[in-house]
Amino acid sequence: MTKTYSEINEKIKNGNVVVVTAEEMIKIVEENGPKVAAEEIDVVTTGTFGPMCSSGAFLNFGHSDPPIKFEHLWLNDVHAYHGNAAVDCYIGCTRMADIRPFEYGGGHVIEDLVAKKPIRLRGISYTTDCYPLAEINTEFTIDDINQAILCNPRNAYQRYVCAVNSSDKTLYTYMGKLLPHFGNAHYAGAGCLNPLSNDPDYETIGMGTRIFLGGGTGYVIGEGTQHNPKNRQGTLFLKGDLKQMTPEYLRGVTYEKYGTSIFVGVGIPIPILNEGIAIKTAIKDEELITDVVDYGLPRRDRPALTKVSYKELKSGFIELNDKKVKCSSMSSLYYARKIAKELKKWIQDGKFFLNPPAETLSTETTFKPMKQKDELKFVRDLKKEAVTCYEDCDIKTVAEKIIYSNSNHIVIINHKNVLVGIVTSFDITRAIAEEKGILKDIMTRRVITTTDNEPLDIAARKMKLNEISALPVIDDNKIVIGIISSEELM
Amino acid sequence: MPFGLIKDIDSYSKIINEILKYEISFNILKFSTGSRGINILIDIPEDKIKSITESLEKNNVIINKKGRVLVDLMKCVDCGACICLCPTEALHFNDEIRLEYLDDKCIGCLLCVDSCPRQVITENK
Repeated sequence: MTKTYSEINEKIKNGNVVVVTAEEMIKIVEENGPKVAAEEIDVVTTGTFGPMCSSGAFLNFGHSDPPIKFEHLWLNDVHAYHGNAAVDCYIGCTRMADIRPFEYGGGHVIEDLVAKKPIRLRGISYTTDCYPLAEINTEFTIDDINQAILCNPRNAYQRYVCAVNSSDKTLYTYMGKLLPHFGNAHYAGAGCLNPLSNDPDYETIGMGTRIFLGGGTGYVIGEGTQHNPKNRQGTLFLKGDLKQMTPEYLRGVTYEKYGTSIFVGVGIPIPILNEGIAIKTAIKDEELITDVVDYGLPRRDRPALTKVSYKELKSGFIELNDKKVKCSSMSSLYYARKIAKELKKWIQDGKFFLNPPAETLSTETTFKPMKQKDELKFVRDLKKEAVTCYEDCDIKTVAEKIIYSNSNHIVIINHKNVLVGIVTSFDITRAIAEEKGILKDIMTRRVITTTDNEPLDIAARKMKLNEISALPVIDDNKIVIGIISSEELM
Repeated sequence: MPFGLIKDIDSYSKIINEILKYEISFNILKFSTGSRGINILIDIPEDKIKSITESLEKNNVIINKKGRVLVDLMKCVDCGACICLCPTEALHFNDEIRLEYLDDKCIGCLLCVDSCPRQVITENK
């Protein structure tokens, strides 16, 4: 049997539409079969609430007197983008405030704006004959401005990976804080409640689909950036009027040492037009599979270690290398459920109608990497031979080696050539000043190292973050096979 | 909870003996070696903290008293980012998948503090 949008909307109008959430649909199809479910259920609502970095808003402030055409502007010290008409701007959620970055960003500006808080606006201009004002400082609330359009180029990933960290340092990433040696795992996404996961062939979701967005009504305006249908990682480009949204479903966030973003509440209703769609909206967490990816590798193509289902992820533990790793979400399942339920209520109350899309989402888009015109360079391309000393050496010998080799860094090894420490000329000087006589007492034991296959840019970053000027190069057995210093990188 | 920093293995047994003098049982929550000596994190009864701290300090042991954390649930979005950082499940989800914090279970490791995107968790100094 098939239903039409008109039939469903008629039922909504008459108040006898049958709506369930995606979680409730699972049981209904299980107990009654898809044929009965398709007949009885008219709409399935979905929801997700998590960090969505490709989000922001277009704002129009109206014209000042005298008029200004912004060259640069700041909202609460967060630089907004100006590249359109005089008083149009785009505030992106990941742009951080000039003052107190990593604490406040575009995402927080949007939350404050929707919460009706006053926002400071500062703008400067190179001035023109028609826009003669050079600088403006003012304050406004969302009710003072013209359009405030939430416009998010990438939201509501169909599914996402589960991140772990094999390295020996804690990593601060967009997938949260990842402890070393697989100390924990983070995943993202609502699983069986996720909108695109409930319409995996994009039969109903597409251009113009009316949705729940940020607590108000919004629309799908096409595929999102990095839309990857062939890998079941579809994304959505969403928009809506900020003035009818709520701060409960638009929350500014900060990920330590990573940056700012915003949690966006998205809920999409799926019309049960036929049995096929009924089956798809009954998808379970155990059927939604994703990869456990090791973020310990600072490269684009990170290894996928194993596959895992959203049921396993939601259980709080995943199994990795025969060990249980504690795992939790970056997105809020509680709010995903709340959104699906709220959208269900809107439809039941006759306040929300469904619409067929002008075009459904592409199933053919490919997701490409960046074209890089320069070839990648590695540590092995630039390293030189390390000047070494054994750990039982006396300090005078080390000092002589520094002078003789004209090298600031002496790598300390044991008699099997395995790295045990590093000494700089400053360490030797300090040893003399503090009258310390034994090499083992003055050398740095926790050496930051690199490998042949590490890209030079990563090695350079390591040196910068740790405020050091050289990295010994070691192999898998910690044997010293060279050294690279900031001099080579210049 | 005193967090003792000591120089060598003899001092370690000194600590044990000091505490045993008081005839209480204690839990070693964490034992690690660093470049500056041995670190142990021990859990002792609240009423013994003052006396044991004094006697440890007499033995040149450096004590860091670790507090627990403060959790401001008003700002929380119930995402769960903190949960997999917590070794004791002091931070966990209730049946409604909302964050709950049990102060009694917190060992003050502070791993959760910088994991929260809403700055809900702060150190209780």
